[in-house]
Amino acid sequence: MRVFLDLMWFFKMHKLRYLAGITLLMLVAILSLIPPHAVGVIIDDMQAKTLTSGVLVYWVLVLGATAAIIYVLRYLWRILLFGAAMQLAALLRERLYQHFTKLSPQFYHQNRIGDLMAHSTNDVQAIEQTATDGVLTLVDSITTGVVVIATMASTISWKLTLIALIPMPLMALATAHYGKLMHERFHKAQAAFADITEKTQENIAGVRVIKAFGQEDVETQSFADLSLDVVQKNIAVARIDALFDPTISLFVGVSYLLSVGFGAYFVTRGAMNIGSLTTFTLYLGQLIWPMLAFGWLFNIVERGRASNDRVRTLLAVKEDIVNRDGAIDRVPTGDISYDLHTFTYPHTTTPVLRDIHFDLAKGQTLGIVGRTGTGKTTLLKLLLREFDCTDGDISIGGDSIYRVTLDALRGAIAYVPQDHFLFSASIANNIAFARATAQMPEIQQAAKMAVIHDDIVRFPEGYATLVGERGVTLSGGQKQRLSIARALLMEAEILILDDSLSAVDAKTESMILEALRQERRNKTTLIATHRLSAVEQADLILVLEDGQIAERGTHDELMRQGGLYAAMYERQQLEVLVEHGGVSA
Amino acid sequence: MNEYESNTRQGRSDRGVLMRLLRYMRPYRQPLVGAFIMLGIATATDVLGPIIIKVFIDRYLQPRYFPRAPLLLLAGAYVGLLCITAIFNYLQVIAFQKTALKIIQTIRVEVFRKVQGLGLSFFDRTPAGSLVSRITNDTEAIQDLFMSVLSTFVQNIFLLIGIYISMFFLSARLAALCLILAPIIVLIMHVYRVLSTRIYHLSRQRLSLLNAKLNESLQGMYVIQAMRQERRLRREFGEINEGYRQARLRNIHVNALLLRPLIDVLYMVTLMVVLSFFGYQSLHVRVEIGVLYAFVNYLERFFEPINNMMVRLNSFQQAIVASTRVFELMDETTLAPIGNLETASSAPLVTEGRIEFRNVTFSYDGRTDVLRSISFVAESGQTVALVGHTGSGKSTIINLLMRFYEIDQGEIIIDGSSLQAFATPELRRRIGLVLQDPFLFVGDIRHNVRLGNTDISDADIEAAAQFVQADAFIRKLPNAYEEKVAERGAKFSAGQRQLLSFARTIALQPKVLVLDEATASVDTETEEAIQEALRKMRKGRTTIAIAHRLSTIQDADLILVLHQGEIVERGNHQELLTQRGLYHKMYLLQQGTGLRRTEAVQA
Repeated sequence: MRVFLDLMWFFKMHKLRYLAGITLLMLVAILSLIPPHAVGVIIDDMQAKTLTSGVLVYWVLVLGATAAIIYVLRYLWRILLFGAAMQLAALLRERLYQHFTKLSPQFYHQNRIGDLMAHSTNDVQAIEQTATDGVLTLVDSITTGVVVIATMASTISWKLTLIALIPMPLMALATAHYGKLMHERFHKAQAAFADITEKTQENIAGVRVIKAFGQEDVETQSFADLSLDVVQKNIAVARIDALFDPTISLFVGVSYLLSVGFGAYFVTRGAMNIGSLTTFTLYLGQLIWPMLAFGWLFNIVERGRASNDRVRTLLAVKEDIVNRDGAIDRVPTGDISYDLHTFTYPHTTTPVLRDIHFDLAKGQTLGIVGRTGTGKTTLLKLLLREFDCTDGDISIGGDSIYRVTLDALRGAIAYVPQDHFLFSASIANNIAFARATAQMPEIQQAAKMAVIHDDIVRFPEGYATLVGERGVTLSGGQKQRLSIARALLMEAEILILDDSLSAVDAKTESMILEALRQERRNKTTLIATHRLSAVEQADLILVLEDGQIAERGTHDELMRQGGLYAAMYERQQLEVLVEHGGVSA
Repeated sequence: MNEYESNTRQGRSDRGVLMRLLRYMRPYRQPLVGAFIMLGIATATDVLGPIIIKVFIDRYLQPRYFPRAPLLLLAGAYVGLLCITAIFNYLQVIAFQKTALKIIQTIRVEVFRKVQGLGLSFFDRTPAGSLVSRITNDTEAIQDLFMSVLSTFVQNIFLLIGIYISMFFLSARLAALCLILAPIIVLIMHVYRVLSTRIYHLSRQRLSLLNAKLNESLQGMYVIQAMRQERRLRREFGEINEGYRQARLRNIHVNALLLRPLIDVLYMVTLMVVLSFFGYQSLHVRVEIGVLYAFVNYLERFFEPINNMMVRLNSFQQAIVASTRVFELMDETTLAPIGNLETASSAPLVTEGRIEFRNVTFSYDGRTDVLRSISFVAESGQTVALVGHTGSGKSTIINLLMRFYEIDQGEIIIDGSSLQAFATPELRRRIGLVLQDPFLFVGDIRHNVRLGNTDISDADIEAAAQFVQADAFIRKLPNAYEEKVAERGAKFSAGQRQLLSFARTIALQPKVLVLDEATASVDTETEEAIQEALRKMRKGRTTIAIAHRLSTIQDADLILVLHQGEIVERGNHQELLTQRGLYHKMYLLQQGTGLRRTEAVQA
């Protein structure tokens, strides 16, 4: 029941709603006492032959009014309580989403997206259920239980009430026992179901091997066996599940028998009359539901608590990339200067970058080359503050990047990431992602610079064409160029291209680079690449090796040195040749 | 198409899906009839209870007449009926559930078998995740339909009929009066179904929008953050979130208006009718109080089944949607190429292992050719190596030889017979494929070598492992050949996984070997074992090998250099080197020397 305390903040937030809802629930429980009472009165009058049409009409009208009032009240409390729980779910989803937007890439490395999705959907759903069914069951079963039993005992006969209730604890015990058995068997059934899911996943992942070895029938047979196991485990569940209803009706039947039997005895003794007895059995009928619901409540609450704990843990994850104290909100501009002694990723010990010192004047182009895993991307991500420097500093225009706010810093940088992620929206919206207010001519201008405009107009709906799962399938090169166009539209002073031209052909690459040179005069560009042709014109080229700068200089200087860079360059010339089938382009 | 038309068409296809589902019940006619009989008995004894109490009230309590024996008999009968009801209800539920589970088993195995028979081109274009959820989750939703929806309907309709018959027996006139309830209930159900289906679809739609947005945001968070769009995205998510909440709120409104609260009003109204009926009667004649008691009792129970059925209507809709998807998969027509189905005697056999490609042209999508006029011969026992840049068509040649796809033009001939003429098992048995990414199954080592071929003995497995140099590392495992293999063989190194997949192929003693050389780097020791194993495996077998490292195929009888789907150079290693063409340049590249660039470019 602790979960109700955990959720108290929300209940308090909607205090009136919950108070009103619970009051209505109680009113319904009390009003529900009227119909059995009316039946009892009429039967008694009929028996005593004192019934008049006036009395009859009176009670029928009372019943009609009660029905109408109860209908309205029931409708209202449902809207109040269920509506509130939905607001809780929406609020939790909103909070989770907001929190997600504040967490750094580090968090996304440590958590699988599937898990985060599950927390935001299943767990939120379980909490919502606690706030609806949980609250409802708790309030309703207690209210109805107390009100009905009190009425039975006080207005009819407390002795008969006690007698009638004798089987009820036994019923509760029996169903609780079944519940425990069910729980175990249900887990086994779920495990069996997980087995067939795994089997199916494996089968589909290994489809080539299965076909190559002609194992289709064997696989089908083993799936059939596993699936039969699911059937058997589920039958075991059904054997217990099927016990609930008969057991309940058995105990309830006995309870009725006791009521009628002893009630008859009281009637003959003159302690009560037949009308009251009928009323009594009708009340008894109203008690069954609260008894059952109470057992059910524990399940809901258990689940809700576990889910609530998980969501709270998630919301408590600290943001690790934050504005430093006194950070000012001014977009930085000017020369870039790296002064890094070492950089080590969080929770690791080996530095990935060492002794990175260089200056880049505003308007210059930097090329970073080197093998995969030598730290090119890391070097760029530090400027973006995807990670914070651990030992050293980076400055723009003479001021540390930590002296401005994150928002201001990122406003100075247009970033084209290595894995070109596009959103499922139109091409125009994707290009205008960083500036949702951009006009069509600007979007087209950016697309032309990224040499993707001609491709776009060939799509069926041009700039309105959707990309992503439900839209058109783009080639890797097209995605990269869209990603470049998206960054260019930001018109930021600094442009980062992180291996962003790998999937476009050499001719397109040089067209894009030429366009950048033309349009981005006086603006700084940082290019990390495998393909050296992309940095031939750079003002400064850094060759990274094991996280250190192995060589530096311009293309001509590095070629003259005849070191790593020169060897890489020559190798790539050969590779290009092989790609073209051995013919010089 | 207007909305009405699309609705009725939808309705018609829903009915079709339901009928198709119900057809699966046919083999279970007998157990189902048994279950219905038990249900009938249980319902009958169930509804008799209030009648006994009515007899007690009218015959004994009202006249204050208490003879011991008949009363005990009455009480005994009541308890007896209770027990019979409980027992038969229990048996009846189990019988229905068992049948439902078996039906689901049939559907599951059927769809799984169907998927096994589909061609690789189907798997190429269908995401694995959606396929898995068709076979498991969607069939689970159908299970819900059979286990809870249909059984709830059947049981509750029985109960309703039983109660109604009893009421008729108690007072035919009043029961007849109550008949007007039927159309009202049907009307409420219909209205509810129409309204809730529409809202249900809307909220499902918005939920999937919400999930898509969340998933996409989580994946692209680094872009969102780098481009400072957090605030905009939060707003967008907020709107979707709110839209979803609104849709569900509408669902709550409909439920609150039409479900339990309304059914309860119906109960009260009926109660008013019953009381007026008896009350008015009692003004003129004597009324049996017991009848009134029983009637009121029945009424209280009459509306519970209706509530039960109403709340199941949503799951019904869900199951129909799931079934539609499952049936779509069952009706999929992208079948795997079917081999010669004639008896083994008439189908050709792979005896020598001579392979010939004659002018083979192939395209996956029917538009761009990935192979153009490929012709070559691998004589029995020879090794033919395929080299070329990524996308040059090497893997496609292997895919065609394995008959994963049907060729468009040209012919593949094995030992003088066209590939199509062979029975599939013969091909699978005689052509051993070693894939680049060795796939291991959950189970033990033996299972991974043997797979489903029961005629491979334990000794064969060990011999195969020894042959491919895998025996040494297997024996070092705590449980040797019984060592468990986890999902995808996670605890084995890339090299060990390869050796195991070699053993799997060799255990079949194939005539022809198809190798897709791994690019993954392995440690030197294992690498040596792999190369040694490959040499031994190739001995005496026709081998078609994709080579990424030219060093491993220097002794090949024929090397085919592919470029953009065509063979541009052919010959053995020495011949190709002297040609100084593409092969020569690839060779230089792999020698890891850029300084000889001048030489290569000049060539």
